[in-house]
Amino acid sequence: MGRKEDNIERAVEVMRVRDKIRNLAIAAHIDHGKTTLSDNLIAGAGMMSEDLAGKSRVLDFDDQESARGITINAASASMVHDVEGTDYLINLIDTPGHVDFGGDVTRAMRAVDGCIILACAVEGTMPQTETVVRQALKEKVRPVLFINKVDRLINELQIDGPEMMKRFEKIITKVNKLIYTFAPAELRKEWQVDVKKGTVAFGSAYYNWGMSIPYMAKSGINFTQIFEYCHNDQQKELAKKAPVHRVLLDMAVDKLPSPLVAQEYRIPNIWQGDLESDFAKSMIKCDPDGPLSLMIVKIWMDPHAGEVAVGRVYSGSIKHGESVWALGGAKAERVQQVSMMVGGDRIAVAEVSAGNIAALTGIKSAAAGVTITRNKDDTGFEPIRHYSEPVVTVAVEPKSMKDLPKFVDALRSLAKSDASLQVSTNAETGEALLAGMGELHLEITTYRIEEEQGIKVKVSEPIVVYRESIEGDNKGRPFEGKSPNRHNRFYIEVEPMPDDIIKELRDGTFGDGPVRTKDAKSTGNKFGEFGMDKDLMRKIYAINGTNVLINDTKGIQNLHETRELIIEGFNDVCKKGPVAEEPLMGVMVRLVDAKLHEDAIHRGPAQTIPAVRNSMKGALIRARSVIFEPMQNIRIDAPNDVIGGVTGELNKRRGIIEDMPVDGGTASVIGKMPVAESFGFSNSVRAASQGRAVWNTENAGYVHLPRELFNKVVAEIRDRKGLKSELPGEAQYMD
Amino acid sequence: MTADVTAPGLWLIGLGPGNLDQMTILALKVAKGCSKLYLEGYTAILPEEEEARLEELVGPWEKIMRESIEFPKKILDEAKSNSIGILIVGDPMQATTHIDLESHCQEHGIDFYLIPGLSATSLAVSLSGMQSYRFGRQITLPYSYGDYLPLSPLEIYIKNYKIGLHTLMLLDLDPSGMGMKQPKPMQPNEVLYLIEKMVQKIKDEREGFPLLEIPVCDWHAILLSDLGSNNQQVFAGTLGDLSKIESGKIHSFILTAKFTGMEEEAFNRRRYLA
Ligand SMILES: Nc1nc2c(ncn2[C@@H]2O[C@H](COP(=O)(O)OP(=O)(O)O)[C@@H](O)[C@H]2O)c(=O)[nH]1
Repeated sequence: MGRKEDNIERAVEVMRVRDKIRNLAIAAHIDHGKTTLSDNLIAGAGMMSEDLAGKSRVLDFDDQESARGITINAASASMVHDVEGTDYLINLIDTPGHVDFGGDVTRAMRAVDGCIILACAVEGTMPQTETVVRQALKEKVRPVLFINKVDRLINELQIDGPEMMKRFEKIITKVNKLIYTFAPAELRKEWQVDVKKGTVAFGSAYYNWGMSIPYMAKSGINFTQIFEYCHNDQQKELAKKAPVHRVLLDMAVDKLPSPLVAQEYRIPNIWQGDLESDFAKSMIKCDPDGPLSLMIVKIWMDPHAGEVAVGRVYSGSIKHGESVWALGGAKAERVQQVSMMVGGDRIAVAEVSAGNIAALTGIKSAAAGVTITRNKDDTGFEPIRHYSEPVVTVAVEPKSMKDLPKFVDALRSLAKSDASLQVSTNAETGEALLAGMGELHLEITTYRIEEEQGIKVKVSEPIVVYRESIEGDNKGRPFEGKSPNRHNRFYIEVEPMPDDIIKELRDGTFGDGPVRTKDAKSTGNKFGEFGMDKDLMRKIYAINGTNVLINDTKGIQNLHETRELIIEGFNDVCKKGPVAEEPLMGVMVRLVDAKLHEDAIHRGPAQTIPAVRNSMKGALIRARSVIFEPMQNIRIDAPNDVIGGVTGELNKRRGIIEDMPVDGGTASVIGKMPVAESFGFSNSVRAASQGRAVWNTENAGYVHLPRELFNKVVAEIRDRKGLKSELPGEAQYMD
Repeated sequence: MTADVTAPGLWLIGLGPGNLDQMTILALKVAKGCSKLYLEGYTAILPEEEEARLEELVGPWEKIMRESIEFPKKILDEAKSNSIGILIVGDPMQATTHIDLESHCQEHGIDFYLIPGLSATSLAVSLSGMQSYRFGRQITLPYSYGDYLPLSPLEIYIKNYKIGLHTLMLLDLDPSGMGMKQPKPMQPNEVLYLIEKMVQKIKDEREGFPLLEIPVCDWHAILLSDLGSNNQQVFAGTLGDLSKIESGKIHSFILTAKFTGMEEEAFNRRRYLA
């Protein structure tokens, strides 16, 4: 049996020994050596041939990472590490380093209990290191520190022992300050890293050696010897005596928590359900025999097996062939295959138990962030997203029609692996509309189609998705909409939804879509809990995004029968508002009266839907339509000397600077910027900072488009959509 | 009104169903006298071969669809100073759409004239052998559209049935629900399917709604196909049997209630033997 096969067998065995498991990530700035180190850990643990390490990058599925400096995916690799005759299972999860699209980073951090902060000895910590570390600490992930590229300090910079100590201290102080600031209050002292305590190691990922105080004691190697090995071109020798994987994995085993320890304090932090439930208790205990709870971190496409979902098991065991629920899915699904990711291989096993990372196939409704359980009423890790609010769209199509089937498949799997991406395809033309969280998000998505799937595509200019809403209401002045045959009339009043309810609607608190008659009462009561008029809300017909349709009529015969059609008319206008055919946001629509033809055939879809549309559009105009534009929160970290150029760039783009904290050599700009102004921001910032800035955005909701821009923006949209330039008035919807 | 030279205004002219031989002499005269003729092709259909010989009988004509009837601005403008005829299959005033035209004309101060035609409904009653005074409210069976499937036609039928009245059931022509595409008359097999779907929907939605005990495929009915045309057919039987009939283009049904003795005999004489 080869070393690798032997290791796989051992991995399967340790998996059930919960205190012998470590789940960890590496947090680093681009180019500090994360890939090199990951490969060496995996190779060192015998999961990959050693000559390959550093060449084939096991963890880096996307070469885009190196091209852009952004890690997009989180893959995992497990390895067995033996400490004085005892086997440990190390599950390494790759973390996306930078922009947190749709919660990728958060999810990866939730799947690990500890992280190795990797800092380059020459450069020290950088903005990106800080960003990732901040995210890790927020999720209660315990850190240790590895100072990499020490060979360069010694050989290139020719520094001596005391100078090296000084540099290390500087890095350690910086890291500890970060930990103090961002770790949960009760842990920020305990989690400080310290050379003497063995929570700091240093070495060279490239030359394969590492060192820590405990390892010095164990191996008898001292500082002077390290300098000698380096000076005498004997780093290979050093690597044999103090291999980096051994030093770091020893440190992980000794200093980072096992799932058994970590889940006890982490579950209350990362899971929002009832902590007294059996489900919660089992997770807190990391009980392999308890109810199943598994959170999916990532979906990736395996050329043979198709979609593979990788996730962390928090409780119970996931078994080959069993039937499970992907929460939010329509039905229970069968697990076709359960595997462990050992090195670069997916190894099928009978089951994977609590505290580990599992790879699953066969679960169609699995998507990143989804929780897998055996009982469909269990509480998941993230709210089930009924609704996402993309702010930018691009049209994408394959350059060659022969790629169409492949293209459609690629889009399907992308949509699954990224909850923040909306994909709609036109099966005939092959054109797809990708709607996402920003320009960068969509650039990366199209890059993935091109590079991972090898499909060349044409991409349109990005387009901002605005929202239509109202600033007043038409209470007491309902708008009459007539059907084409004029025998059906609907009377609608609209008013803005309260902001806090809009937020709840966005979070999916009340669901989305038509409300079944038998559920209307409970849905209404739920609105009641949030301070809405319960009796009114019990008459709810439908929710569409952040808009609500209420049947506020009394005793109208046959109205019930046209319910579906009324909802369809409402949905149409929610999708395309009257001003610019942009989606509607935050409106309560009340049907207050209706006149219907006696005979069903004269109040069919062709009559009722346009009548409702007219009535609702007219009401919106009567209540004074407005446009909302999407905003982004933005944080840019850059060295002091270039920050001026960066703020200038933000000012040019209607940006608002809210804070500019300076910390040592790094300055940060925290603020907001309209998405409409953000196109091309990546390039401008790169240019303004000579590529030394790191930036991060997140959606910050919608704000009123400044009045003076209203006409210009509406005219642009109408022109692009081929609509008449003249804005529709009430009269247009009267007949 | 019977003048040879027809006066300016809008003339609704009933053609009678199915075969242009059903036109009255009056209708023919008026049609010939109009300065311009339209054929309304949206609420009912004239068989192709009849369409082909229409010009021969009444002169040149143009087909109009839903849009021009529901928003008849152009036609009304023309009717201000010309005699405009709209040819309508069956009897003009059987369709609500056409009653609207009368009010449109009044609003615009345009003269409105009506030439009734033989209607498919009166033909249906007459050919069915059922007694004309034993009919309840008429229904039209609509195509379903997404989740939309109105139940009121079924409710009306059940009400009629319970008080011993027959129900004349016309069928939808427009599966798109939007009146845009070429009309597609509903076929007997679709009728059975739709009614069964309605019964299921009522069961799902409304507890305690009093349904008929009889399974839908055993309901008694009379199928009337291509009324007024040369291919006219009348068959009696259960909906299950009738739903297998594939001949004929345009259909309507009479859903029968309890028979009188004479009606029962008439029903049996028309029985469909597969
Ligand atoms: N001299 C030296 N170079 C290193 C070391 N670790 C990584 N590198 C080099 O630094 C560059 C970036 O490393 P990589 O692992 O791709 O960084 P990542 O972007 O963090 O994944 C590569 O050229 C590596 O060969 C090290 O310990 N010493």
